[in-house]
Amino acid sequence: MGVSSNESIQLCIFDLRRGQNEGQELDKILFFFPAGFPFSKQLSVIGLSEALITFTRIFSPEAACEVIEAELHSHVFHEAEPDIWMVMVVEKSNDSEPIWGDDALRKVLKEIHSLFVMFHGSIREMLEKESSGGLTRRHLYSFIMDYLRACKKQSPWDNCCCGNGEVAVSNDFLAGKKLLLPSFRDSLKERGTVQMLTISREAAIEVQSLARVLESSAGNTLCYSLILFQDLLVSTTLSPADTINLFTYAVLRLTPHALSSGSSSWSYVRKGITASNAASESNMTHPNSMSESFYGSSDISSGEDDYYHVVRPLQSDKWSKGKDGYLVTDLWGAEVGTWVFATPTVWLQQTGEKMYLCVYQHRSLTLMLMIPVSSVPNGEQGVAEVRQRIIENASLKILKVEEKLSKGWGGENAYHVSGYRYLLVDGDRNVSRASPATKVTTLTKESLLAMNKLRQEVELEKSRAKLDRCNFEKDLEICVRAKNNAWVISRVTRGKELYMVLEKANETLLYASDAVEKFSDRYAIGVLSLVWSIVFFHAQITILIEKTIFSLNEKVFLKNLEDFGLYFYSFFIWESKILLPKKL
Amino acid sequence: MSETSSSAHDPEPPIRLNLPPLSPSLFDAEPSELQQPNGSAVRNSSDPSSPTSSGYAAEQGSSTATIVTQVEEVLHNEIQEITIDDPQPLSHSSRLPGKRHSDEDDASISWRRRKKHFFVLSHSGKPIYSRYGDEHKLAGFSATLQAIISFVENGGDHVKLVRAGKHQVVFLVKGPIYLVCISCTEEPYESLRGQLELFHGQIIVILTKSVNRCFEKNPKFDMTPLLGGTDLVFSSLVHSFSWNPATFLHAYTCLPLAYATRQAASAILHDVTDSGVLFAILMCRHKVISLVGAQKASLHPDDMLLLANFVMSSESFRQDFRSIFSCLLATVQCFGISDDTYLMLLTTSSDAFYHLKDCRISIETVLVKSNVLSEAQRSLVDGGMRVEDLPPLPYSGSSHLGQHRLPSDSPERLREPDCGIGGAAGLWHFIYRSIYLDQYISSEFSSPINTPKQQKRLYRAYQKLFASMHDKGLGPHKTQFRRDENYGNYFFVLGSVEGIVLLCWVTQDFELYAAFDPLADKALAIKTCNRVCQWVKDVENEIFLLGVSPFSW
Repeated sequence: MGVSSNESIQLCIFDLRRGQNEGQELDKILFFFPAGFPFSKQLSVIGLSEALITFTRIFSPEAACEVIEAELHSHVFHEAEPDIWMVMVVEKSNDSEPIWGDDALRKVLKEIHSLFVMFHGSIREMLEKESSGGLTRRHLYSFIMDYLRACKKQSPWDNCCCGNGEVAVSNDFLAGKKLLLPSFRDSLKERGTVQMLTISREAAIEVQSLARVLESSAGNTLCYSLILFQDLLVSTTLSPADTINLFTYAVLRLTPHALSSGSSSWSYVRKGITASNAASESNMTHPNSMSESFYGSSDISSGEDDYYHVVRPLQSDKWSKGKDGYLVTDLWGAEVGTWVFATPTVWLQQTGEKMYLCVYQHRSLTLMLMIPVSSVPNGEQGVAEVRQRIIENASLKILKVEEKLSKGWGGENAYHVSGYRYLLVDGDRNVSRASPATKVTTLTKESLLAMNKLRQEVELEKSRAKLDRCNFEKDLEICVRAKNNAWVISRVTRGKELYMVLEKANETLLYASDAVEKFSDRYAIGVLSLVWSIVFFHAQITILIEKTIFSLNEKVFLKNLEDFGLYFYSFFIWESKILLPKKL
Repeated sequence: MSETSSSAHDPEPPIRLNLPPLSPSLFDAEPSELQQPNGSAVRNSSDPSSPTSSGYAAEQGSSTATIVTQVEEVLHNEIQEITIDDPQPLSHSSRLPGKRHSDEDDASISWRRRKKHFFVLSHSGKPIYSRYGDEHKLAGFSATLQAIISFVENGGDHVKLVRAGKHQVVFLVKGPIYLVCISCTEEPYESLRGQLELFHGQIIVILTKSVNRCFEKNPKFDMTPLLGGTDLVFSSLVHSFSWNPATFLHAYTCLPLAYATRQAASAILHDVTDSGVLFAILMCRHKVISLVGAQKASLHPDDMLLLANFVMSSESFRQDFRSIFSCLLATVQCFGISDDTYLMLLTTSSDAFYHLKDCRISIETVLVKSNVLSEAQRSLVDGGMRVEDLPPLPYSGSSHLGQHRLPSDSPERLREPDCGIGGAAGLWHFIYRSIYLDQYISSEFSSPINTPKQQKRLYRAYQKLFASMHDKGLGPHKTQFRRDENYGNYFFVLGSVEGIVLLCWVTQDFELYAAFDPLADKALAIKTCNRVCQWVKDVENEIFLLGVSPFSW
């Protein structure tokens, strides 16, 4: 829209505070994909977006433009930071897989941004540091291109164009390949959520104890940990938002599966991607020299340029497992004058702290430890000491936990419930669980389209309820019998969402709602609340107690529990008395 | 004007955005020294020293300074430069007296906070109609809409919808006429688009399609004068978007009448259709008493809706009971017969005035002699189907619509455990649409749907359900059950959170939409729906116009 071309997708980021004077419009643009797009067209996309943002604010000052639907294109908007907008333009192809949910696309934009912020800090801060914006553009360009590559279908191409990057990076990437975006086939999936492993209580206690050992390895500093088994989360002590970011990154780059890309081992995410929709990446226009220098794309190839070091954390095949079990990467460069790779760092959203990220892997188990940079005065050496201490203190526990989890692991179809194709989302904690992707693909296109449509409807209702700022969370149940006789069902209650497709079901509504009832009773409530009560709570309680241990009294403790959304599980603490200090 | 032309006629190729600038300062809180007491500051646009003189609401060398406006019509002499600083508290502007709030413009907070705007503009950006505010004052705004539409069209695409928070901006391009709806009513896109289609249809009913030809001859053709005095027609149409199910069901409804009475009316109408009249429609308010068409003639229910709306809301109809207007398909002549009843005769020949007059006289004479008019009047008083009257057993009585009202203390009445409010099993309301008759019947509102607000909310819930069932790509779904604990947030006021259960059935023959108490039992609700269908079938010769097939497609 607004741009006549064969581009199937455009993605741009622009800053409304920049380039306000005539002749300086280009300064607004912080990122544009494809980079080879003529500037006139880039400006036309951004100009239309800007105009509609201003226009819609006339009527809706609190929520500006979210989406433009035109006959042939959708423009999806996301205001990532104040006045910094991300806009994705996708072509509505009339081929076999035409349907996009603008909400799903917006989640892609959100994911890109929050990952970026995790590694680089906010765009605004970066821009404030250098008025030209050149460094920011370089960072965004390399980061988003790496991200898009990560979203692509696995192919031999990956390895050849994402390595240590020649100039070719800017020219050939994605050439002739498919860029994957969420489609209706992903309607039983939820981006921006964490998938969890269900574990027994004994295992949970072991995991908990392991997390404590990990976090105490750095002495008295407050560390955070994240433990994954395969591509599933086992334990976290981070806030939900940080958990999602690190989980997403781990599944993209760190888990055993991610390390051995191309292997056929099971993964929620990977399987999902292969079943995903694909938009063909058609424009092979080589960026002209102008846009190359504009985005600095010709410079970023080596991960380092003349002036700045641009870290590219999403570059693939950059992580490998060392002999000591730790994952290492040269993505963050090396200590000056040594061959020691610098330890990766991340920014935590909740605390705003910069943390060292140490990743240890034993078979299917991936442990991530975040240590505040400020608490390690002697830099790499200090981190190395912590790593050593972990090996000394936790090795045995790690072996034990891995063994226990492997035994209890039900395999790829562990969470399949026969007869049902479902997605469960806990919006409060950003956790989801779904039927295995291989099972979802057995559904007919009609059913998935109907589910996709239903989800869009529910999303709209949810966002409106949110805008009403009423305290009433949406409580909604919709059962639709589609044209192909499948039942497509959605249930939203107190922040929990259940979506379900029943294809071989009896035709009566009562039968369908019975089936849902049974499922919720047995799985939805059971599974999810158990998972949370055990895993989240164990992990977060530790933090809580460590944070409040000196000022602890019952009231404060319960208040904090509530803050973590754990109030209802508190009975479990009293009962098990695992972690409670004697004072209580 | 003069100071705007430099930017309005930029010779550059359209590298930059060709939209009229919208000022970010719309939201600035800086007070303007030129503010008028009424809050909307009006500056003299001919003052070249004014910092805001760069164009429509663009100012202070801000973002918009670089944006080039291409639309020359934007900046008429008549347009006042507007700054949007409005220091008034929001509450102050909630409701203003006056039918169309013509004192408002896009600078007024009150105008911006209207729940639903309708705009009609010409393809050159000239305002033709605005539901609120003075069209002339909205010329700049209108040009903005035009610019958005044509900017997208220049890219080979067509803009359909823009969504921002609770607001939706829906666009419809009909040749040289652009229609835009800006609404925060939570109505689905499909419904809003349908409303714009009807809006356009109403314009065509009034002005005929020759309007398009006028635009062909003169792109700057001003059709506003032609629509003079038709405000009532449009406001009545817009009003019907929030109460008349015909606007989204694409079906018409009949006045409930005994079969014999309707037969008699049809017989009377039938006589005139043999004499060159294409259609004879006898209506009572928005409901059809009878309708007779010549063979092979077809009339869409939407056209009937628009004709009825025109007649019902026209001053002329009220005054001299006669109105001639031509629409796309035929010349229509309309006669008022009584306060609520009127006759519409459609013919293709344009010189049939006297003939139609004769027809009308003959029909009127017979009608007055028969009992049709008095029966119609009685039916108006009695009303239609009521959920309280839903017969528990297969209906066999002969009373009006099977209303067998029982004394309130009758034990039979108490047999239904859930009938404390509304009908059986918590049934509140229903709409039944017969697919091949193109007709629907809607039950009367009963407790607890008492207030107009509640009725509007229910209407919107049906509308949403209809859109959800009739997705274009997926074809109609078969069944839908929807329980919403707080539906229609739009009307959300503290303490009035209300839930609802909606059930919808779409079969080859009919569609049923039913609303229940949120606590209604699913099984009972389904049974009740079956009873409703049975009930409707039992009384169908009273509530529907049978035996005619006016719609021959």
